Amino acid sequence: MSKLQTPSGAQMVMRWSWREIWQGQLWPVMAALTLIIACVVALSALAIRVEKVMTDHGRSMLAGDLVFRSANPTPELILNKAQQLNLTISEQTRFQTMAFSDKGMQLVTVKAVPDNYPLRGELILTGEGGAVQSSLQPGQLWLAERLFSLLEVKIGDVVAIGDVELRVSGKIESEPELSYNPFRTMPSVFIHVADLDKTGALQLGSRVQYRSFFKGSDSALAQIQQDYPLQAGERWISEDNQGRSADLIGKAKQYLSLTILMVILMAAVTLVLTCQHYASSRSATVAMLKSMGASKSWLRRWLLSQVGLMFSMAIIFGSLIGLGLELLLRLPLTGILPEQLPGYGWQPFVFASAVALLIGLPALGIPLLRLLDTPAIAVLQAQSEKSSKKGVWLIAVPICAFLLVYGTNSLVWMVFAGLVVLFLLLAGGSYLLLHLLSKAKWGAAMSLALSRIKRSAINSMMQLAALSGSLMLVAVIWLVKSDLLGDWQQTLPPDAPNVFALNIAPTQQQAYLHKLDQQQVQRSQGYPIIRGRLTQINGQDAKQYADHDGNHINALRRELNFTWVEQLPDHNQVVAGQWTTQAGVSLEQELAQELGVRVGDRLGFSVNGQPFSAQVNSLRQVQWQSMKPNFYVIFSPDVVQGLPATWLVSFRINDQQVPFLNQLGRDYPTVSLLDLRTMGGKIQAILGQITWSLTVLAGLGVISGILLIFTLLRLSLNQRRREITLYRTLGASRKRISQTLWSEYGVMAVSAGLLAVIGAELIVFSLIKWGFELTPSLHIGMWFVLPILAMLVVFASLSSVIQQLLRPLK
Amino acid sequence: MSKSVSANAVELSILKDITFEVFSGETVAIIGTSGAGKSTLMTLLAGLDVVSSGEIELLGRPLSQLDDEQRAKIRSESIGFVFQNFLLIPSLTALENVTLPAILRGEGEDKDKAQRLLASVGLSGRETHLPSQLSGGEQQRVALARAFMTQPKILFADEPTGNLDEHTAENIIELLFEMNRDHGTTLVLITHDANLARRCERTLSIHAGELKES
Repeated sequence: MSKLQTPSGAQMVMRWSWREIWQGQLWPVMAALTLIIACVVALSALAIRVEKVMTDHGRSMLAGDLVFRSANPTPELILNKAQQLNLTISEQTRFQTMAFSDKGMQLVTVKAVPDNYPLRGELILTGEGGAVQSSLQPGQLWLAERLFSLLEVKIGDVVAIGDVELRVSGKIESEPELSYNPFRTMPSVFIHVADLDKTGALQLGSRVQYRSFFKGSDSALAQIQQDYPLQAGERWISEDNQGRSADLIGKAKQYLSLTILMVILMAAVTLVLTCQHYASSRSATVAMLKSMGASKSWLRRWLLSQVGLMFSMAIIFGSLIGLGLELLLRLPLTGILPEQLPGYGWQPFVFASAVALLIGLPALGIPLLRLLDTPAIAVLQAQSEKSSKKGVWLIAVPICAFLLVYGTNSLVWMVFAGLVVLFLLLAGGSYLLLHLLSKAKWGAAMSLALSRIKRSAINSMMQLAALSGSLMLVAVIWLVKSDLLGDWQQTLPPDAPNVFALNIAPTQQQAYLHKLDQQQVQRSQGYPIIRGRLTQINGQDAKQYADHDGNHINALRRELNFTWVEQLPDHNQVVAGQWTTQAGVSLEQELAQELGVRVGDRLGFSVNGQPFSAQVNSLRQVQWQSMKPNFYVIFSPDVVQGLPATWLVSFRINDQQVPFLNQLGRDYPTVSLLDLRTMGGKIQAILGQITWSLTVLAGLGVISGILLIFTLLRLSLNQRRREITLYRTLGASRKRISQTLWSEYGVMAVSAGLLAVIGAELIVFSLIKWGFELTPSLHIGMWFVLPILAMLVVFASLSSVIQQLLRPLK
Repeated sequence: MSKSVSANAVELSILKDITFEVFSGETVAIIGTSGAGKSTLMTLLAGLDVVSSGEIELLGRPLSQLDDEQRAKIRSESIGFVFQNFLLIPSLTALENVTLPAILRGEGEDKDKAQRLLASVGLSGRETHLPSQLSGGEQQRVALARAFMTQPKILFADEPTGNLDEHTAENIIELLFEMNRDHGTTLVLITHDANLARRCERTLSIHAGELKES
């Protein structure tokens, strides 16, 4: 027997396979496979691109791919290694000093850099006559905008930086490294590294920070970090650990993985269902072929040729559709993404094909292996379906691959485990709900529908669970996106403060705030700032109490900014204890955890050598990235009110108010103004970029889900064809059958919608709380939207086939 | 030979101690009412199933001693089928359906022979039509052509006119016997139609699992 290899026989079999795909029952399987590949190609290609863009963005804010920061010059060992690894190197020496002009003086941060700074990002310097340059030459001095008013200088004037006098070359329009810590940022001054020694600022014991910037391949960057063990006071900074943008990028990446996983899951369900349908529709053919003498090996090759052809076609079409889809997904991002987009290589195609193959193996393999066992006798006598465990081991293939790829990703595991449990719960819940519904009194159509559902309880339960499961995934994709974006918008709303005013003298405070109010500037309350140290915890030396196992706590080694308030700021959430206005102090929760301090502990402080103590009354959650004034330590007024303090206020300046800001700087020259407009804009830009990407991705996920539900329902209705024909033969009217179908699927839609909402709320709660570490909330709107969406999809599916189902009998 | 099946833990005897011989070139009709065991007998004779006790020798080979694959080999080499519901592959053309048994035998797609066979059943010019484009009678003609594609020694026909109107059925039967004569094939015809059975040389009547030669 055998021999598909007989040329003409093989040709015929290939033709047959081709027609099975396009005309036979194999096209829904092919469509599901194509959908998997297209979605994975589009999503992973976009993910790779967005990730690269975001990484570039993060790196441009660092001025390099990787930064080494230290209080001492960068060790030769690192620089030599970097050269060996072909990394491009740049450097920066940063220190704080007084800048003097003829008319004023100001504490500034001096950044001495070579010609090739920055390696990433933009340094825009505007000189005489608006001439723009992006690097420094020896002898040049560039000042931050507000230094011009603070020092009362213009381009060409002389400013002394330490021992050297330099002429002002121009204004720093934009610099890559930006910080929004109001307590650590002073106006910047750029000089060339060649002039550094002349400043005489680098003395033994002076506080200088050295930064080396590296640019090169990811592997070389990883290698250099791995090869050099960090000493005390040294740190590597990369886009992964660089504050807010790293946090945004990290969460966006997590969301991308989550969306891809869910789309794959939904397409996998479609694939399993369509494969089962295909296998059951082909058992008669296999029995007939066997009756004509087809051997198992021939049938195996026959099925393999079909599956092989189908996979090849799905990979080709899926990849092409995926590319188009990626283009479509990118359309709304035009203007946000750079014009020269980074490529994505072969990875999305290989990944998508591997995913399709891994899911396809059990989804197709199990029903096809069972199909091969169809007895020849089935050609004449219908055989009862026997439960078979054949091929069940194939399920292990994607599970093992899943373990290998996602073994360490807790978020994905959380979703996976949750889905399995929820699927079972949904099946049980569906049964209970239908049972309760059937107890009530209904009209004839509804009673018939419910009895039909109850009659094939397992089938209906599985169908309902699959329907509600798909709806649930759709809801999860959308809700997680909304919650994530909601959180980001909340921490950085469009009206977030963009200017900090520091060092306001107590005598100036009232007048300063009044001036802001006069101009109707949106501002925070004024906060007194007292610099001091935390010295004791429960009567014990704080360092001894908290530092152990070599765990040196930075907060105990430097002065902290204290403040006092009557009421805690609204943007601080009390997570333990209660705020009191008597002899109390509130700590930021992470610092409290680091120190091992709890509510009720007594802390000793020192301000200008004056000791005092207070009892911890509460712990607060502080969003450091929110660009609002935040403090580790907040006292009740009675504890520190008498101590000398300067004041701080944050406010938001719009474009029309810029002259007012400049006037404010001139009216209060001793008040330091920290202008965060540029950086706030940059962060808003990243946020906008990620928001769009996530919305588009979520949209795609939702569309895939709705397509799955549509397929599910059409399959289910097609399986009912024979039964409906029988009803029609027995004389049931079109109206009665139609009413029964609408009732049956209507009940399923509403039940599935409700169950999906419950499941989605549970999953979203877990994901937001433990996965993304944000505050979960209830989504009331979804309780209405999901059942309605389910009804609409059911309506569309049923409408598309009901005419065929109710066609007059021949 | 006997055949029994177990249903709900009860052993049902379908065929009881049946013994008969069919000789080469003979035309034999097996008749009986619905549920009498006709189709079961045919599945056993064609090696689609195995007996519970006793033995069937097909072309000199004891079927119960052969495994599935060996029985399939015998079917591909020596047996043809015509079914009541035609069982054509919907996605293959008439010509391709006819060539299928030859492909299963590893003989390749002998299109000329298939065309001749289609012509002999009156379907010249319909080679490229799909089953859905053919009437019931035409589909059964394709099935007839397919059955003779590999020059089978034995042809099993299971109610070949069961799904056809009287006139078409008559034509198909004519054709079946004519082709059977031309190819010198042994014919085993399963039917409940006594008139049709009379056209065969021998008639075996089956009733409640017992066989009588009439």
